[in-house]
Amino acid sequence: MCDPREETLLIVDDEEINRAILANIFEKEYAIIQAEDGQAGLRAIEIHCDMLSAILLDVVMPHVNGMEVLRKLYQQGLTEKIPVFLITADAATSTMQEAYSLGVMDVILKPVVPYVVRRRVNSVVELFRARRRLGAEVERQRDQLLLQTQQMAEMSMGMVEALSTAIEFRSDESGEHVRRIHDITCHLLRTTSLGEGLTDDQIRLIGVGAVTHDVGKISIPDAVLNKRGRLTPEEFELMKTHTVKGAELLSRIPQMREHSSYQYAYDIALHHHERWDGGGYPHHLVGDETPIWTQVVSLADVYDALVSKRCYKDAFAADVAMEMILDGQCGVFNPRLLACFRRAEPVLRGLYQPLKGT
Amino acid sequence: MDEMKRKLLLEAGIDVDEALGRFLGNEALMMKFLLRFPEDQNFSRLRQSVAQGDAAGAFEAAHTLKGVAGNLSMGTLFRQISAQVEDLRAGNVAAAADKMPALEETYSRTLAALQQLV
Repeated sequence: MCDPREETLLIVDDEEINRAILANIFEKEYAIIQAEDGQAGLRAIEIHCDMLSAILLDVVMPHVNGMEVLRKLYQQGLTEKIPVFLITADAATSTMQEAYSLGVMDVILKPVVPYVVRRRVNSVVELFRARRRLGAEVERQRDQLLLQTQQMAEMSMGMVEALSTAIEFRSDESGEHVRRIHDITCHLLRTTSLGEGLTDDQIRLIGVGAVTHDVGKISIPDAVLNKRGRLTPEEFELMKTHTVKGAELLSRIPQMREHSSYQYAYDIALHHHERWDGGGYPHHLVGDETPIWTQVVSLADVYDALVSKRCYKDAFAADVAMEMILDGQCGVFNPRLLACFRRAEPVLRGLYQPLKGT
Repeated sequence: MDEMKRKLLLEAGIDVDEALGRFLGNEALMMKFLLRFPEDQNFSRLRQSVAQGDAAGAFEAAHTLKGVAGNLSMGTLFRQISAQVEDLRAGNVAAAADKMPALEETYSRTLAALQQLV
């Protein structure tokens, strides 16, 4: 990329003849700014620091000398961005040593020899230019990689959703169920104390895990899955296996197993029917033996099932659904979870508005 | 540059080619600073400061003069003043004072030659 800015050189020297000689050397290639002492130099740097290609700095000057200017530039980290050349008549080693330790690129002796000073300055300016170009290129590539990573993540999320939705379709449920469980889970974890200690990234992965909570239903025969009316005890036992089957299915897909959401997805599929009092299945876990995020998915699942129409039931009004949950008609839930859910529920209702309006 | 001028400058102890090279052949620019040299107050400041034993003032004046002499390739003057700058940097005004007569002589010769150019 061609930089539209003109290359600009700042000359800081109290002697007019020095400035004139240096300006004469560089004026064909650079726009020249001149400063008559350290103070004026610092002012010029403050104003033009974004467009300076290099600074040629005299050492012995009245008021603010070159070393003081250099120290200020070093403190502001500017010597890393703009190459500074010390132009000095005295090759005293102590000055040179300090100058180099303060990030000076080169020390050039006066009286200057034009082709030497030109070559040394131009080489370094070119080096800095190349470094900037390279830095910009690296940044561009990093942005591109980030974008691609994001696209890949969206794509795999899409695949997971597609799979889960396909399975939902078998039981005559729309893909909305999957989407809503995801949204309710993420909302509760993001906006209530239930998500304490979880990062945004973890909550996003838990959301992915919520999407696949029912994949085990693929192993349940249609006759049971879509039965209108109550299941027999045998049928219910079979239905319960969708938890273990779901976890097993996820563990058999290598891409899923390696996905960072796997640890959440596996537990959610396996334990989203556990209850706080041990009255759930398949492992009759009690209390927080079930991770809080799986508990959140369980409740989201129950709530969504209640307020939606299913093959075995009609939709309940949200108030009724809320009452049934709080009454323990759908099993016992963590009291803290219920308290948070109760507060968030009015917002969750909003997720259903578009459907109800039709 | 005409031969007459060149000869005069060489006689004044000025390495014309080197000086012109420093100005990248820009003779007008070089002449501007050469002709301004006699008006430079630093030599009288140096003389006065050395006489008064003012090392700091003398150093400042000598340092500036050294820069100008170097830029204009005034070889002899540059060498002499450089030695004096080092004396004064060390605060040795007596040593600098010892070097004044020789410096005075070179300086006057340079000025005399430059005045002929005007």
